[in-house]
Amino acid sequence: MRVGLFVTCLADLMRPSIGLAAVKLLERAGCEVVFPESQTCCGQPAYNAGDRQSAQQLARKVISEFADVDYVVVPSGSCGGMIKTHYEDLMSGLPEHRVKAQWLAARTYELTDFLANVIDMNSFDTAFQGTITYHDSCAGLRELNIKDQPRKLLAYLPHVDLKEMAGAEQCCGFGGTFSVKYGDISSRIVDVKCDDVEATQVDALVLGDLGCMMNIEGKLRRRGNHKTKVLHIAEVLTGLVGDETE
Amino acid sequence: MELTSHQFKSVSSAKLKDVKLQKALYQAKDGFVVSRAKVVAELDNFEEIRQAAADVRDHCLAHLDLYLEEWEKQAQAAGTIVHWAESYEELNALVVKIAQDNKVKKIIKSKSMVGEETGLNQYVEGHGIEVKETDLGEYIIQQADEHPSHIIAPATHKSKDDVADLFAEKHQRPRLDDAEKLTHEAREILRPHFLDADMGITGANFMIAETGSTVIVTNEGNGRMTTTMPRVHVAISSIEKCLPTLDDFALIMRLLPRSATGQVISNYVSMTTGPKRTGDKDGPGAFHVIILDVGRTRVLGSELREALRCIRCGACMNHCPVYQNVGGHAYGWVYPGPIGSVLTPAYNGIENAIDLPNAATLCNQCGVVCPVKIPLPDLMRKLRERQYEKNLKSSTEKWSLRFWAYLALRPKLYSVVTRVMARAGKVLGGDSRRIKRMLFAGQDWTRHRDLPAPRGRTFRDIYINKNKTANR
Amino acid sequence: MSARENILARIRAANKTANIDDVMDGAVADRLGSPPISALPKLDWESEVHFKLRCKESASSLDEIARIEELPSAVNRYLSKNVLPNKAVCWPEFLNLSWAAEGIQMESRGAIGDDKVGLTGSYCAVAETGTLVLLSGPDSHATTSLLPETHIAVVQRSRIVKTMEDAWRLIRGEVGSLPRQVNFISGPSRTADIEMTLVYGAHGPFRVHVIIIDQ
Ligand code: SF4
Repeated sequence: MRVGLFVTCLADLMRPSIGLAAVKLLERAGCEVVFPESQTCCGQPAYNAGDRQSAQQLARKVISEFADVDYVVVPSGSCGGMIKTHYEDLMSGLPEHRVKAQWLAARTYELTDFLANVIDMNSFDTAFQGTITYHDSCAGLRELNIKDQPRKLLAYLPHVDLKEMAGAEQCCGFGGTFSVKYGDISSRIVDVKCDDVEATQVDALVLGDLGCMMNIEGKLRRRGNHKTKVLHIAEVLTGLVGDETE
Repeated sequence: MELTSHQFKSVSSAKLKDVKLQKALYQAKDGFVVSRAKVVAELDNFEEIRQAAADVRDHCLAHLDLYLEEWEKQAQAAGTIVHWAESYEELNALVVKIAQDNKVKKIIKSKSMVGEETGLNQYVEGHGIEVKETDLGEYIIQQADEHPSHIIAPATHKSKDDVADLFAEKHQRPRLDDAEKLTHEAREILRPHFLDADMGITGANFMIAETGSTVIVTNEGNGRMTTTMPRVHVAISSIEKCLPTLDDFALIMRLLPRSATGQVISNYVSMTTGPKRTGDKDGPGAFHVIILDVGRTRVLGSELREALRCIRCGACMNHCPVYQNVGGHAYGWVYPGPIGSVLTPAYNGIENAIDLPNAATLCNQCGVVCPVKIPLPDLMRKLRERQYEKNLKSSTEKWSLRFWAYLALRPKLYSVVTRVMARAGKVLGGDSRRIKRMLFAGQDWTRHRDLPAPRGRTFRDIYINKNKTANR
Repeated sequence: MSARENILARIRAANKTANIDDVMDGAVADRLGSPPISALPKLDWESEVHFKLRCKESASSLDEIARIEELPSAVNRYLSKNVLPNKAVCWPEFLNLSWAAEGIQMESRGAIGDDKVGLTGSYCAVAETGTLVLLSGPDSHATTSLLPETHIAVVQRSRIVKTMEDAWRLIRGEVGSLPRQVNFISGPSRTADIEMTLVYGAHGPFRVHVIIIDQ
């Protein structure tokens, strides 16, 4: 089966290991991975800022780039949510594109959802071990119902111990441009999240969304916590972490 | 009420530093969120009930003219005097006229958010008529000369110590130190007012078209007092509070107390239909209802119409990460939190509350708890779109996003620029691999947190290169 | 044009602009004519058992008697146990019981500010929420359940219905149009307006005692 990887602009730029890990997982599952090289951004920043026109142009670009794959897999809840739940709204008034948006939405999966529910993958090749806690990102959880999928996958790792934190479903305060426009408030919200993470005393915080990742990791480091690792679930499932990928 | 939403940024920053407020908000959040979750879990088909409630609200709004006419017909048949008001001034003036016609000197009032919108107390007092708020929270706020910070718990921003100091000063009695004693002191002080007030003003949670009734839902009993003891009762409401039937009301009542206070039902649900009947030994001789439309019909015809489903439970604010940290006053008008971020600009003009729809992470913690399924993040996004069209967005935000979109639509240029950014970022990050200080727009990020540095190469460069090598 | 006409005209115009699809079946007249009941939760409990459970949850106390003649002694039992005054006001329906024999001074009238104990009947009760339903009327003063610090209410076992919807059905059938006020009362008056601390006796009764009677 041909699986298109939408790597997301943040993973592409900030943390390529996530994309490489996603490829490794998909290939291990026997998928033929297709990476349309012209892909860039899903349009969410523009959409959430009220710039509907730019968002629509980017959405149309994504729709055409992934026109000939069986599935599209996205290692991010918010970009996945954008494609799956908002593209159709963006195309309202454009019936022809709307149908294509629906078509794409039906084939698009967040990475853990795809691995757990489409592939039903149950064995992983990873050197990672330690105690972890999982942050449920807002879009993944509330737009795509990603809750059990990552936990199911993590449960297959014999040397990984998941310890739930209080407020796992609570927003980390990222919110895209919110994090810079309302920095004071965003900072307070992520402080609470860091408190919850630290209270579990785990080795690593694991999550499935780049925005939350940069926000929480950035705050932990600023608070002087250099110990708690912050990892994308794809990194944990493959052991491909950070620079080791190069 | 005076609109101060344009000060959102400065006020919210100050609120974050207010230690006492932070403690109060923390307590309130825990109380509301935990108890709601418990009673919602008791219902096996909560989602089905929510959907049914949303459908009933939509149905009522779709035929609001007919339902209001029916409500009026039934209300009048029961002896209710019905008034309509198209402006805050008109509603306030009607209340004063009713008071003057009935030679009213003292009014007791049970909580009304519509009254907060119109600034009713101030107006009535300006005409030499005394108004006593009787809901404990509202009473505290009135004594402190403040505005409510929450739609169902108006004094939630105040600590017990604040109330103790306030009561000692205003009541001229020894300072008390626990919530129970303070509550009972307020009871003692307010009781005589209930007994000798000439007129009672209440809001109305709902108006039932089938029977021409108004309903109030309370826990304290002040609502019952206000609708029963004085000789005149005036209920103020707004057009969207209509519900078709008593059974629709029963449906909504499975949701309202659960979502609001985490109760299975509120203590007192009082449904009033007309004034005192022949033979009745108690109840007011005259019952007036004033129905307001300010902003509502405009919203009804707009893309924000789902906001009119709101039953004012407060769950959206209780679950909002922004409200939980800044409290209600920062929002600068009657309705705080997510629903406030929609209604404030919708009723007062989007240019007068620019921050509110933007000061949200769109996490949808509000949308998933809203008992009538209002898609609050979508409505905030729609307001952002209108701001963008009207050129009301900050130019930094607008241009940085435009620049990003420009790049993203040009893949070749994009890959070059991101390649440079990845390299530069790695250098900036140095050995610590974190960027501690950025310039321009980036400084708003690094003022509060580090930026984990990019790894030096973009995914596409690594992946494409790898594939080439592999294929060679 | 009057405010009323303007508002109704604006509503019609707005609904036209919005061009909405109404998802519900049936026109307005149908809904008003025979109100449908939607989305009930699973009500898989026995009404009386659930009613008692909910009463306790909302901090009401409970007693049960077989016949109305036993009411004075049940009231006496409650008042003595809680060290409450033996002077009370009641609805007329209860006046002719042998109160004096129990040492209780009972008057039939609406309550005033100083009355400490009020005794009322109830129209019916709702098991789902542990709620007393009281209708105002010439012989059922609203003040009796409101002003005194203690409210004692008599509920007939056969009139414990499952839901609020059932209560409406009963009222529609037996009473017809609504009285001035229908009061749903679930436990003593309360507030949590100061630091979320639950306090009983905000403005209404501090205590509610429910006496279930067989006939
Ligand atoms: S928007 Fe929904 S959650 Fe918020 S107050 Fe209204 S009904 Fe409650």
